Amino acid sequence: MKSVEVKAEQLSGRFSKFTQIHVAVAAIFGLVSLVLVNSQANHGLPMYLSVFMFFLTITLGGLFWVTIFHLTRSGWSVVVRRLFEHLMNRVGLMALLFIPIVLGLHGLYEWTHEAHVMHDHLLQVKAPYLNQPFFIVRSIVYFIVWFVLARGFFNDSTQQDINGDPLLTARSQKRSTYGILLYAITISFAGIDWIMTLTPHWYSTMFGVYIFAGAALSSLCMVSLLALFLRRNGFLSTVISVEHYHDLGKLIYGFVIFWAYIGFSQYFLIWYANIPEETMFYLSRNTAAWKAVSLMLVFGHFLVPFVLFMSRHMKRNRVIHACIAAWILLMHAIDMVWLVLPTFYPNGYMPTVLDIAIIIALAAAYGAAVWKGLDTVALFAHQDPRVDESMRFENV
Amino acid sequence: MSDNQSPLYGVMAAFDSPDSLIFASKSVVKAGYCKFDTYTPFPVHGIEKAMNLKPSPLPWLVLCGGLFGASAGFGLQTWVSIKGYALVISGKPLFSYQAFVPVTFELMILFSAFAAVFGMFAINKLPQFYHPVFTQKCFESVTTDGFFLMIECADPQFDLAAVHQLLEKQGGFNIVDVRDEG
Repeated sequence: MKSVEVKAEQLSGRFSKFTQIHVAVAAIFGLVSLVLVNSQANHGLPMYLSVFMFFLTITLGGLFWVTIFHLTRSGWSVVVRRLFEHLMNRVGLMALLFIPIVLGLHGLYEWTHEAHVMHDHLLQVKAPYLNQPFFIVRSIVYFIVWFVLARGFFNDSTQQDINGDPLLTARSQKRSTYGILLYAITISFAGIDWIMTLTPHWYSTMFGVYIFAGAALSSLCMVSLLALFLRRNGFLSTVISVEHYHDLGKLIYGFVIFWAYIGFSQYFLIWYANIPEETMFYLSRNTAAWKAVSLMLVFGHFLVPFVLFMSRHMKRNRVIHACIAAWILLMHAIDMVWLVLPTFYPNGYMPTVLDIAIIIALAAAYGAAVWKGLDTVALFAHQDPRVDESMRFENV
Repeated sequence: MSDNQSPLYGVMAAFDSPDSLIFASKSVVKAGYCKFDTYTPFPVHGIEKAMNLKPSPLPWLVLCGGLFGASAGFGLQTWVSIKGYALVISGKPLFSYQAFVPVTFELMILFSAFAAVFGMFAINKLPQFYHPVFTQKCFESVTTDGFFLMIECADPQFDLAAVHQLLEKQGGFNIVDVRDEG
């Protein structure tokens, strides 16, 4: 096989206007949210946390896949790795977006109310872990770990674009070994700290894995959509082939099942044991208006993609692939809402104008950061030692 | 051993590499033959495309196996819990479908696996203790470094002279008439 000179691809400002619109939308709706927060009694924090978790899981999913690609020295993934790298590189933005949550701790977490904790034996026992200073220290540690890992991978990868040094790949592979351990611990604890402690009496040992399952799945869908969008606009069309979409599709399919497996395992043990402090989480989600949302997740997040995406032809058809990826992202958003909101509104909830402003502001901010990132470096790791192998990759 | 009275089964040629075998398969397909097979010591990528083979029906068999396993598992548990042995367990309803999920899931996997393994055997016509190619001494190298292609005389456009000519033109050597002595 002859080795062909791989040509780099660059957006070169093609979407700069698009990015500017994103920035403007984020700024306007961010301001609208700020004004509404001050004028309305309903402060929209629960929705903010849901949307924050939606984008955080996509970001951390990107970090997971980059780590696992290096850990397994995977060849096929080289041409799509840069897209995952852009997602993981949004850790800095997510840290910035975490500030409102720190400011709104009292509005979100009941264990922060000292008067409340005084009359609650269980919360007193948990106080050495569940207290504000320790919570904030832990959150900072998570972000530092993610930031250092993500920066390391990103810098190695983009530096290699310039000098083509294969030792940078070796360095990333080395980083991935301890990186995956740090990642597993931090994402589990972050999920527990930020979401599970909303109901501080409730506990599930499965919870960290549940957050991880959503992260891995949503980032795959996001990368598929990004790649297909870029392809529509004439980028990467000779680089990312139907074989890569097929592989992304297989991973999406696998993680649809993984999510359901983890979700059901969590539910199943709690349902079987039937202990009040465990069942309370599902009680508020399986009754009243939230029951419809729970069923929607069972069907929409699992059964529909499970049946539709089973066939090889569906994974290889770009239009169907894009539709299913978008559908799963929507379901993942609903999943994040389902995790947070029933705790605050057990009888159902109608989004307010503030909620919608928050959703648009965060989505636009994240989008702007991704497009800005895409524009600054080459669209795929064209100097990677395995880029040739990746481009020639074929499913058997 | 070869006995000229035995019926002809096909014409077999050896090739020296997977690439030449793929190339020969393409030419054989192009010449319009459909009843032919290739024999290699290891799986050769791209050969199924070169031979113009239809996609395997195995996925459908596996799907049927999985559906059967899932419905059998769920059905059996439902019948046992509601009719066969209607026992109240830890105060839960008799039809507690949540409890049926693990067994349903496992039986789906089990029967999918059965369908995959035994379906694969059936489609490959295994076990097969005799095949006309086994009569050829040179065919023994198929387990080490031999690549063979045989056009069977069951093919509607089979013509002994034309087949010999085609295989020779494609770089086949050791071209032999394989007779069915079974």
